[in-house]
Amino acid sequence: MALRRYTTVVDGTIPIPALLYNDEELLASQDNVGIYDGYQKAMDHQSGTVHVTTHRLFFMNVRSAATQSFSMDLSHVIRTDHYTGLFKSSPKVTLFLDANSVSNSGNGDDADARFESWECEVCSYRNPPGLSPAAAQVCSLCGVPRNAVPAPTSQTSSGALPTPLASFPTSSTSLPGTPSRSGSPPPHGNGDPESIACSACTFLNHPSLPVCEMCFTPLPVVSQRFGNNNNTRTKSAPSSRPVSPVSAAAVDPANLLIKLSFRKGGEKALYNILKRALKARVWEVSRYRHECGFFCPLIAVEFAREGRSERFRGMANRNVNASVKNTQTELSDAFQDLEALMVKARDLVQLAAELNEKLNASSTIANTPGSASPTGSIFAVTSLAPSAEPEEAKFIRSSLSQLGLQMTNAPVTPDMIRDERRWIGELARELAGILQGTSDDTPGQKPSGIMRQRGIVGLDEVWGGWNRARGVALIPPSTFLQTLQFLPDCTSPPIYNRTFKSGLRVLHTPPYTHASFTARLLGHLMLSEVLTTSQVAQEEKITISLTAEMIEAVEVDGVVCRDDERSAIRGGGSGSGSELRWTLNMFEEYVWDGQTFD
Amino acid sequence: MGTTDGHAGFRLPSIHAAHAFFTEQPNPTTQSVFTDNWTRLILSYARHRRLFVIRVEDAEVAGGDWDEILRNERINRRVLPSYLNSLISAMVSRNLAYYEPPKQTRSVILLWRLPEEWADVLHSWGTATGQLNTILTLYEITDPPVPSPLSGIPLSLLRRTITILTRSGRAQLIGVADGEGVRLLTGGK
Repeated sequence: MALRRYTTVVDGTIPIPALLYNDEELLASQDNVGIYDGYQKAMDHQSGTVHVTTHRLFFMNVRSAATQSFSMDLSHVIRTDHYTGLFKSSPKVTLFLDANSVSNSGNGDDADARFESWECEVCSYRNPPGLSPAAAQVCSLCGVPRNAVPAPTSQTSSGALPTPLASFPTSSTSLPGTPSRSGSPPPHGNGDPESIACSACTFLNHPSLPVCEMCFTPLPVVSQRFGNNNNTRTKSAPSSRPVSPVSAAAVDPANLLIKLSFRKGGEKALYNILKRALKARVWEVSRYRHECGFFCPLIAVEFAREGRSERFRGMANRNVNASVKNTQTELSDAFQDLEALMVKARDLVQLAAELNEKLNASSTIANTPGSASPTGSIFAVTSLAPSAEPEEAKFIRSSLSQLGLQMTNAPVTPDMIRDERRWIGELARELAGILQGTSDDTPGQKPSGIMRQRGIVGLDEVWGGWNRARGVALIPPSTFLQTLQFLPDCTSPPIYNRTFKSGLRVLHTPPYTHASFTARLLGHLMLSEVLTTSQVAQEEKITISLTAEMIEAVEVDGVVCRDDERSAIRGGGSGSGSELRWTLNMFEEYVWDGQTFD
Repeated sequence: MGTTDGHAGFRLPSIHAAHAFFTEQPNPTTQSVFTDNWTRLILSYARHRRLFVIRVEDAEVAGGDWDEILRNERINRRVLPSYLNSLISAMVSRNLAYYEPPKQTRSVILLWRLPEEWADVLHSWGTATGQLNTILTLYEITDPPVPSPLSGIPLSLLRRTITILTRSGRAQLIGVADGEGVRLLTGGK
């Protein structure tokens, strides 16, 4: 149904270039394509070649090219969709068609009329045949619509004349497009005694009656006939039964679509070209171009009516030319501005790159003596001593930062530092700032950092906190772990990395090393003999799970031993709810003092 | 911590009053000290009360022969069955016990005297009671009319003992109509 309504049969034996309008261009072709009419396969159009032009979509049937090929105006397409295909289902492109537009080329007469040459009513220019329908509607010389003179509407003649420029927006609607296609306007007078079929009882009434003579059902208004080609056509047919307004109008809008099924691929390229063609809307551009000069045609119409067309011709031409010229200069001005901007931008980027290179060069020169030292310590190279930097470089850096090109707390990113080791070293320093707070903070403010208050922190928390602080260019765990080995050198007190038996990794300050924690724990146990894990955690102000890990590490040394509450006779927890109690291991030197036998 | 006398006149070691003693220690060094002391405690108690068998069930259910050892009401601690099981297997691996019946791990016969020691005991008992060169049934040894050091010895342990005596030529195993008999000989020694 969609197929029949929107397409025109063309002779597929004619080569494509011969079928095109003069202002039409062939964009792409793809063979092995099948057509779906709505959601059903169109049985007659299962194998053919699809051609996309600026105006139309051609389907050239392979089997019966002469009768089963068609063309469709792209102006009907309101939306497209692309389906990539799955297993045996071929990729498809769906074209959703506008329910309100009807193919203007349903009958052969129209198509023929289009290819006739015609003389403009205003300027007498003989327009050559072969232009696209939209372009053919207006004179290619003066831009006056083809039928402007014979059928001027009252709106255009009165409204547009006093203020020609203000009439632009309305001009598109007032353009006599669809109704006057057949070349001459439909008969306007009421001399035609065409009877009107009643929608209820099908009685054919006299056109002047407002209601049905038989059943008093209100009849369709006579004036509607003018705007509705289909109505008049059906009425002229010898029919005793009323016909529903339009058969095509009953079609579900959802079904108004055509699918192109690409049996042998190629859908991507074609779809892109098709989309571009739809976006370009060449058929409208040509119409717009003529509308630009539309105020002149209106004047021309007036003059032509008064029989002064001769005098007007030159004037109309001048106006058209002037408006086209205006548009062109404005456009070229805009492009010139853009080009200038691009040139400047390139200069700016170049300048920044040069500056950066110079800075890098100067800083490496400053650091060369350090790298030559026999110690070979990487930190002699990596640490960028500020004092070693030349004054100029420092000045440039500071002005850069003043310009906002370099923030003081900007995250270190790999493109800022070329050398991998230096990059890690810089990262370690940044991390140190996050953990302990930077020393160059404002003096009144207490430096803050993740590990300012706490001596031991889980690695996951540090990683998350660091990346949150960076915000951009997040650090992957692998780089994070690499950074950790440099951390003790950048922090004071040094922060170490430790992995527990369970795999839990932490960062900690010296008070939380294994040795010092053991010493503290033994001291606590000395005083209170027995301590539960949570008591130790409370004492140490760290989490219970961390405490458990640390005590278990001490237990490995054999200096403490555990007492599981699960082995209590009465009470006591069971399962994971029970707690471990820790005592000093005083059993190493235990001597048997129980029962002996001689 | 101090030693205490149990109600059967058994002197419990001071370590039995330590909480940690009732928990299996993950540290192998600490645990080996504990295992040594548990082994000694179990064997001493078994010898004191002439107990030959210990089962994992003894830790599961209260009221058995082993409550005095496996539980300490004063400190509210007991040996968990899993712990007793690992203690038992440690004793088996040290040849201080063997699984009886075989092919299970929940019940052992305790060797508070090694089979060699039992062999000496059996031989000296036979000598002392003047039963050398006479044929004795195994029942006459395990359940003699006059209580002996061998009273109540499990049959499997008695057979091991006799096997050792046979090897050193101090006994002879004889099959009799209704079972087995043994003749103790003067032997080499």
